[in-house]
Amino acid sequence: MNQSLENPTQKQPPSEKGVGMTPRVRATPLHARGEPMVWLTGSALVMCLLMIAGLLSLVLYHGGRAFWPGDVQQVTFAAVGEDGKPGANPTVVLGVQTEEEFFDPGEADQKAIAAMKNAGTLPPGAVDASGRAARKLLRVGNRELQDQPFLWVPLYQIQKVETPAEATMVERMEWGPWFGVPAGVEVRQRVAIDQPAEKIELLVTREGEHGKETVARTIVGQAEGKPGSTVVDEVRVIGKDDPARAMAVFQKLWPEARARAVEIERLKEIEVGRINHEIEAQRLRVRQAEVDFVRAKVAFETGAPSAPVWLWWVGVVGAVGLLGAWIFTRPKPPAPGELLIPKPTVTALRAVMLAGVAALGIFAYVERPNSLLRADQQTVERLSQRLEAVRAEAKVQTERLEAKYGELRTQTAKIDEEDARYRVIFREVTTGKFAPVRQTELGEPLRISQVVRTIQPNDASVFSKLSVYTSRWGEFIFGSPREANTEGGIFPVIIGTVTLTLLLSVLVMPLGVIAAIYLREYAKQGPLTSAVRVAINNLAGVPSIVYGVFGLGFFCYSVGAFIDTGSGVSAASRVALPVVGSVWSTVAWWIGVGVLLLLVLGAVFASMAARPRPGQYATGGQVWLARGAAIGWVLCAVSFAGLVAYTPYFNGFFEANLPAKTFNAKGMLWSALTLSLLTLPVVIVATEEAIAAVPRTMREGSYGCGASKWQTIQRIVLPRAMPGIMTGMILAMARGAGEVAPLMLVGAVKLAPELPVSSQWPFLHLDRNFMHLGFHVYDVGFQSPDSQAAQPIVWCTTFLLILVVVTLNASAISIRSSLRKKFFGETF
Amino acid sequence: MPTMQTRSGPLQMTTPLSVNPNDRSTTSGGGTPGQNGSANGSASATAAGGDVGGVGVLDKNQGGAEGVTAFAECIKAGRPFPAYTHESLLREDHVIHVKDFSLYYGQARALYDIAMRFARGKTTALIGPSGCGKSTLLRSINRLNDLIDSVRCTGDMTLNGTSVYAPSVDVIDIRKRIGMVFQKSNPFPMSIFENVVYSLRIDGEKRKGVLQDACERALRSAALWDEVKDRLKESALGMSGGQQQRLCIARAIAAEPEVLLMDEPCSALDPIATLKVEEFIRQIAGRITVVIVTHNMHQAARVSHSTAFMYMGRLVEYGPTADIFQNPRLPETEQYVTGRFG
Repeated sequence: MNQSLENPTQKQPPSEKGVGMTPRVRATPLHARGEPMVWLTGSALVMCLLMIAGLLSLVLYHGGRAFWPGDVQQVTFAAVGEDGKPGANPTVVLGVQTEEEFFDPGEADQKAIAAMKNAGTLPPGAVDASGRAARKLLRVGNRELQDQPFLWVPLYQIQKVETPAEATMVERMEWGPWFGVPAGVEVRQRVAIDQPAEKIELLVTREGEHGKETVARTIVGQAEGKPGSTVVDEVRVIGKDDPARAMAVFQKLWPEARARAVEIERLKEIEVGRINHEIEAQRLRVRQAEVDFVRAKVAFETGAPSAPVWLWWVGVVGAVGLLGAWIFTRPKPPAPGELLIPKPTVTALRAVMLAGVAALGIFAYVERPNSLLRADQQTVERLSQRLEAVRAEAKVQTERLEAKYGELRTQTAKIDEEDARYRVIFREVTTGKFAPVRQTELGEPLRISQVVRTIQPNDASVFSKLSVYTSRWGEFIFGSPREANTEGGIFPVIIGTVTLTLLLSVLVMPLGVIAAIYLREYAKQGPLTSAVRVAINNLAGVPSIVYGVFGLGFFCYSVGAFIDTGSGVSAASRVALPVVGSVWSTVAWWIGVGVLLLLVLGAVFASMAARPRPGQYATGGQVWLARGAAIGWVLCAVSFAGLVAYTPYFNGFFEANLPAKTFNAKGMLWSALTLSLLTLPVVIVATEEAIAAVPRTMREGSYGCGASKWQTIQRIVLPRAMPGIMTGMILAMARGAGEVAPLMLVGAVKLAPELPVSSQWPFLHLDRNFMHLGFHVYDVGFQSPDSQAAQPIVWCTTFLLILVVVTLNASAISIRSSLRKKFFGETF
Repeated sequence: MPTMQTRSGPLQMTTPLSVNPNDRSTTSGGGTPGQNGSANGSASATAAGGDVGGVGVLDKNQGGAEGVTAFAECIKAGRPFPAYTHESLLREDHVIHVKDFSLYYGQARALYDIAMRFARGKTTALIGPSGCGKSTLLRSINRLNDLIDSVRCTGDMTLNGTSVYAPSVDVIDIRKRIGMVFQKSNPFPMSIFENVVYSLRIDGEKRKGVLQDACERALRSAALWDEVKDRLKESALGMSGGQQQRLCIARAIAAEPEVLLMDEPCSALDPIATLKVEEFIRQIAGRITVVIVTHNMHQAARVSHSTAFMYMGRLVEYGPTADIFQNPRLPETEQYVTGRFG
């Protein structure tokens, strides 16, 4: 290039025939063709996909494998002596191998390994080339007998690994798994034997209905009314030396025993729970009647809390006058053929008049002479009588309920007694100790009903392993958690997550869509609107824990306290003395209502007057008026909130519950609201874009038909933008479902006693705590006392969380695509 | 420089009507159109011969000395142009009366004191090159330009005697009396039936019978009934282009408006669909006043009773269609209708 510039003479002289005659060779280099860009962009995509696929397959692999039953190994191991020979007095344990790894051996290990090397007894694979030793992690369970349910065993210490067929893993309701060998089934019974006590053999071996059994007898005493007959307690042990038969008998007895356990559970949780709820409802009724009575009494004794009578008359006269004015300003119906031109200012004036009528009417009603709030002698007496009536009624009801409760307890005790008769013995291999009922009763064998499932995986076929696998998954999805969430299922967790996500989308959608409509359709596009947009986008970047703190402080502690206890009074003082208010605070409040009405009126008129004439620019005065109107509206909103917060006589919706908290604490509603704030920017941005994408021709068509702006938005813009709005909702749901940090502050708990949805009214319990998949992963994985044992639950919970999010998204996407078909037509 | 319409930028440079700044020095005298260049010679002769005079008629002797017409001078000076309106039109009973109407997009002026009347029950075509303001004028009649923030206007219009631009007028009421069909068919994202009865729905009409009657009547008028009567519940977005445009026509006339505005209704249609739309326009003549904007002069000639030629935001000539096409009075009109520019 440079050369040709310096030596222009070297250039080929142009062809004599002319420039156009010689075909020009135009080369397109590779980079100009864009091939490298295709590779670059393609590889970026592949990287992203690989990372996603890697994450998903990791979760899938671990989640899918977690419940597959592994072999139960019988491992014999002992410390190695200085001579390098396998140690004497070896330990024998049963366990499932969960991991195998190399570790840097300590001094003792190194010494032992060196000795074994010298003696030539080092088992192959116990040490790798770089001198690191291998070890494996065994899940040995049996928490009652040893501190650690998991055991690291170095391979060089292992003398023998067997997989005996009778080795059994027992999953129990409490205290984790038990590894052992079946050594009999115990059936206890009390029988009468037609023999005097001294003739009865105390230890018998006989044929029972389950085959050969050993019976140990304890004499209770003589049977009543039957001389010569003795009552004895028998303990029948079946299959004492025959693990296979013991197992078979156990399998036979297990379903019935399990059914009893489930029945006890049902009676305890559901029936007793229902009765408790009803008793509590009775107590609340009495409490409410008490509160009403005490308040009226205090009001009567301390003087009238209501407004003076003259103010009441002002209210009545004002309401009537405004109503008259409202009727007077009624527009005349247009004559046929006459153009109807309603004056917007008059319409607004009429609206405010009506609001004034409503406010003064409410005032006149609430503050009426002889109202409950004025509390005369009669009212106090009436409330006192009502309190007595309610008390009597509640007493009857409570007695009935308690009788029912007693019945249930008897029933439960009966089932429990029957349940205690059937027990199973699983012996540990070394010491021969058997699985006890509970840690404090080591001598009593395990009840059959306490066994969730037993697995003898060593000789089991793939099909029986598969059935165990599916039953574990079934329990995981439909069961309740056990053992501090490390075992059992996560049904309440799934329900909590799904309820929260649905509730959050129900809350965030209207809020976001309305905000977006105003921003895009009504707000004047200018610096202020841009600032609002920037602010909204910034909200999306605020750390979610900040939302959590806000939710806790604002929703739980402020709004919740207002709902629970009413205006501006702490719960503690409320219990002692219900609020009755004072005359002057009441009057001030009503004056505030009047000021608010005037503010609204002024803001309405300012807004109307600030609108420029069609086809004209706004004048300077109109611009200032518009600003004034905006400030007026803000003042209206603030004073409205203030008036609500200081509503006189408002004592909260749950005053009977006090000092127990209802909404003044963590709960479903506040979590959903916090998350809806968190996801609001996503919805607003998506909706705005969808609205902006509605073709102008469509709007013009609607306006051309004579539709107003709102009709156009409602009938054309929103339906057409709906697929885009759904996209926003999908994003919001995905974000909300996966969020954990704010929930830790405003609602998610480790273990919720009750589901947020139930068959009891009001069905959706917004005040309850709930469990959440994301929080569950954190809690079980990192806060659990036995995180090693909880690993399967963590993986499977993660897997399910992803599944729930995918399901929610998929359903939203399918709704969106059907809407798209409807509103976009067939594109070709 | 005078205020020019920004949207017709390229046109100014190429059309023979635009004023060459170099001619400025020569445009002082009071020449006649007859003194124009050879291209304008025959046109001005025709105009002079056929001039019958009338209200607001241009004094043709005000043209520039060196082949510059009065119209060109107006453009150069940024002044409005007193249109040449054929006398016969002034005698007709009118529905819409445009009174010195001007419109600005921000600083740019798009319409210059337009004054014209649209005859009752007749079809009026607005022709002119792109960006001449004919669509703007059309959209001003039902105040669709209000939707654009930067638009201001002066002057007024009346619709059957009531003002369109008076401050107390409810714009929605005005639009309800006027139907409109757009260049690009714009069916709403709903069923065919709901599309047609949209105007009635927004008026709060709920009686099924009334809606069905209106739907059938409108679809029959638009010659669409036989094609869609079995699939009224289906989405309107699945129809063909021509059907969609006729659906929009049906929608525009379903509420029986006094005036129907059509903004290049056939520009995106094939010849057969165009034929059907034109047939429709001819059929409703006498019942509804139609104002149609078109680029296609043949179409204007086929469907309209009177034609208005607009250029650079001014109404140039307005007369019976036959006169405009066969006997234009102004050289500009003649050049345009004979296809010498535009």
